[in-house]
Amino acid sequence: MKNQFGLQAMILASFTALAVGCAPGGTTSSKPTAHELAATGKPTGKVEVKLFKGGYGIGFFQRAAQDYMKQNPGVTITVSGDPKVWEELRPRMVAGDPPDLMYPGWGMDHWKLAQEGQLYTLDKALESPAYGSKESWRSTFIPSVLALGQKDGKQYVMPYFINIQGMWYDPGVFAKHGWTPPKTFPELLALCQKIKAAGIAPLTFQGKYPYYMIENMIIPWVQSIGGIQAVNDLQNLKPGAWQAPAVLQAVSMIDQLNKAGDFEKGAVGMTHTESQTEFVNGKAAMIPCGSWLHSEMAKTMPPGAQMAYFLPPVVPGGKGDPTAMEISIEPWMVPVKAKNPEAAIDFFKYLTSLPVAQKFVQEKETLMSVVGSDSGPLPPLLQSQDDLFKQSKTVYSYIARQWYPQMETSIENALTSLLNGDITPQQFCDRAEAAAKKTRDDPNIMKHHLN
Amino acid sequence: MAASKSGINKGKGTFIVLYLGPALIIYLGLVIWPLIQAFQFSLYRWSGLSNVATFIGLHNFQKLAHDDVFWRSLEHNLALLVIGGAVIVAISLVAAHLLAEKGRSARLLRGVILFPQMMSLTVVAILWMFIFNPQFGIVTGLFNVLHLGNLSKTWLAYPPTALPAVGIAFAWFAIGFYAMLFSAGLKTIPDEVKEAAELDGAAGWQKFRKVTWPMLWSIKRIVLVHLTILVLNIFVLVYLMTAGGPDRATEVLLTYMYQRAFQDSQLGYATAIAVANFVVAMVLTFLVLLVIGKDPTEARP
Amino acid sequence: MIWMLILSFKPGYKIVANPWSLPHHLHFENYTNAWTTAHLGHDFGNSILVTIGTLIVLMPIGAMAAYVLARYPFKGSQLIFGTILGGMMFPFFLVMVPLFMLMNQLHLYDTKSGLILVYIAYSLSFTIFVLYGFFQTLPHELAEASMLDGCNHHSVFWKVMLPLARPGMIVVAVFNAIGLWNEYALALVLVPSQANHTLPLGIADLASTQQYQSDWGALFAGLVIVILPVLIVYWILRDRIHDTMLAGAVKG
Repeated sequence: MKNQFGLQAMILASFTALAVGCAPGGTTSSKPTAHELAATGKPTGKVEVKLFKGGYGIGFFQRAAQDYMKQNPGVTITVSGDPKVWEELRPRMVAGDPPDLMYPGWGMDHWKLAQEGQLYTLDKALESPAYGSKESWRSTFIPSVLALGQKDGKQYVMPYFINIQGMWYDPGVFAKHGWTPPKTFPELLALCQKIKAAGIAPLTFQGKYPYYMIENMIIPWVQSIGGIQAVNDLQNLKPGAWQAPAVLQAVSMIDQLNKAGDFEKGAVGMTHTESQTEFVNGKAAMIPCGSWLHSEMAKTMPPGAQMAYFLPPVVPGGKGDPTAMEISIEPWMVPVKAKNPEAAIDFFKYLTSLPVAQKFVQEKETLMSVVGSDSGPLPPLLQSQDDLFKQSKTVYSYIARQWYPQMETSIENALTSLLNGDITPQQFCDRAEAAAKKTRDDPNIMKHHLN
Repeated sequence: MAASKSGINKGKGTFIVLYLGPALIIYLGLVIWPLIQAFQFSLYRWSGLSNVATFIGLHNFQKLAHDDVFWRSLEHNLALLVIGGAVIVAISLVAAHLLAEKGRSARLLRGVILFPQMMSLTVVAILWMFIFNPQFGIVTGLFNVLHLGNLSKTWLAYPPTALPAVGIAFAWFAIGFYAMLFSAGLKTIPDEVKEAAELDGAAGWQKFRKVTWPMLWSIKRIVLVHLTILVLNIFVLVYLMTAGGPDRATEVLLTYMYQRAFQDSQLGYATAIAVANFVVAMVLTFLVLLVIGKDPTEARP
Repeated sequence: MIWMLILSFKPGYKIVANPWSLPHHLHFENYTNAWTTAHLGHDFGNSILVTIGTLIVLMPIGAMAAYVLARYPFKGSQLIFGTILGGMMFPFFLVMVPLFMLMNQLHLYDTKSGLILVYIAYSLSFTIFVLYGFFQTLPHELAEASMLDGCNHHSVFWKVMLPLARPGMIVVAVFNAIGLWNEYALALVLVPSQANHTLPLGIADLASTQQYQSDWGALFAGLVIVILPVLIVYWILRDRIHDTMLAGAVKG
């Protein structure tokens, strides 16, 4: 028993309803099948909502469900969630017994679900009126954010809140030493010298999960050097994209910081919680992360610690947009086997209605995909992000990690080797390119394209 | 008065069926039957996210044969088994002998020997992550005290040390159980045999080699088979401590399977890895049983 | 262990900042948080019920089967033993799909009795495997002599062999109990509803929440809640376990 139970936390969840003899049927093509969800009249019946219980919790949505039910007496909504909700959802998807609306979090490959025809496309619903309004639901979203849930012009998943990707510092610590957040890479290098002189590690990072560094440093630098096209080339798996000069230079910048000892010792082995704790305790001055950082670390922050966002320092003379901002979304979706998809969509319309969205912004201190949800006075931390977001002429997202997880794993492994000093930046690019080629040549992986 | 041979055999068949039956029915129904069903998955291209799947015969296994990561993972499992296993068996045997002593320290040892086993592997992993932590861990501190600060690496993030570090945590966890097994095995050695050996002048290492070690044949077999299976199924510890990194330096079969199953959504291929894992375990177990299959003491008069 | 106990009394941010120091105040709220917010009290009761329920059935049927396999070799008995060994050789998640379906069909899905049944099944390999070894080492002459004294197969087993195998029985029972107490994977899949949750599920929930909310204090308090009862039981029994082994030692 011991050995099997040693497997506990074998986060299996893979129990599913695959009958013996009635072996799984159907075949997969790399083109997703579209099931259009038609919006209908008055919502009614039971709606089951399953949510990922992350840093923002699920309490907000449970309270929203209560309010919604008061306004819509014919509907009963149950909202539940778990930090590993995907483990419960996987088998239910296979068994054909999914919830009506779900936000499965990062543990479920929703693009694979789209590929296998398991998700409703929501374009008709988007053309229907928004909750309690005459204008179309589509017009209530920020278009560039809404686009992150599309494939071949069809809407498979919906955005809710927006994560801002970038860098973080402690304004209190910086003020005390007379430092300012660096705007350019040379400024960053100079600042690192000063920080080291003060006996603090300039940068720490979530080394055990290298995508933090990829998404918040390398990709923004590729954009800064080569322009948004260089990032799109990576995501479009364009041959040679990972060996492009912009990528090599961005990776060399990481290598330079690493060799100069600007990263905290041991960070390469740290989890997100460990490194972020180093940061909030003032042992490291800066950290790359998404905007969930504050909610994630709230309980671990010592009294007096602060945090603020800054855009990753740009490379002078680069082709990129210095105002560009990288964001990411965490998608919501309606499974095709949902029992009450219409009412589920109506509830999600309610969640994205302006008053509810504004409340979410204020309560969770995050930006949202809904136009106007950031109006009114914002908490200072959020205000600074919002200002940068509004000024930004280029808003983009690095979705390749969700699209091509296998490629991402290889690239992350290569980055760890680079940080351990085992390979050169050029070798990193070669390994990444080889991984991209493998994905490109695999006919079973559905390909995405950005213009 | 004396029962005949047939008397002994009387009711034997019924007895076997009656005593073996309940366990066998439950086992076949709830373990073997689902297992047979599960093996089917390895013949499909299947994401594990919906009921959409394609039958591809043995294609997953052909791919596996050419999968470098798979072979590297297997190497790591075998390294843990051979090197870690030798260390574990040696320390467990010593501990088992100490357990048999009388006195305060033996009592204390009895008290603590199973502590690691009491904890779930999650706790063990968290504990050792703190110990190896580059900022405040004991290991780093120890190196600094010895003025070997330059040698102190981030153990879990530095490829040459990551696997040994995981191995140390694993050994720490596993030793208690095997020490208990050996200890119980030592108790089953009849005093007469020990006394006879002592009369023959055997003591210490001699006694151990000539008497104790062969007499433990059955326990040895249990320990080796159990250890083999445990190491091949090692997952939680590695997954939590290193997640198979840095750059796959600690990737083992099950962490790789986990990546394939849940990160890459390739449950069919992941099942093929599990099947391969199963076959390797079977073969190794068979080898152990072949080598230590007979009671070496039985031959003696 | 002691260190973990100390940690459980510290507020979250101090734990990671300086894990080896002593807390200035005892932060009992970590415990109340763990006990109430995470329903650990309720899960605790379930874990006791499931662990004991499993052992009561498992130990006798496991010992019976091990005894037969070890002492009554028949055509195919090696095959059966091999099959039972095989049960320890595959990763759990392999069977989750069919097992989930099976429990559903038996209407045992999301019930404690269903979980107990599965626990019995998946503990049999280990139980039989170890006890098989113990029964094999017991002297053959003893059973034969008892038979000659007029005992039948049943009474030889219950009155002679089982008492002799007590050291093995105790070791196996203790390890099964520990394994069951800490078991997570099967429980996660087979008893999804909160009412049937066992302690490891509660802790896992706490641990994952910690990943997103960094509440180390509550996590360590939770870990102590899981481990402490096991340690207490073991500490009380530790001499008994060893004494039993000595007393049960085979005198030939």
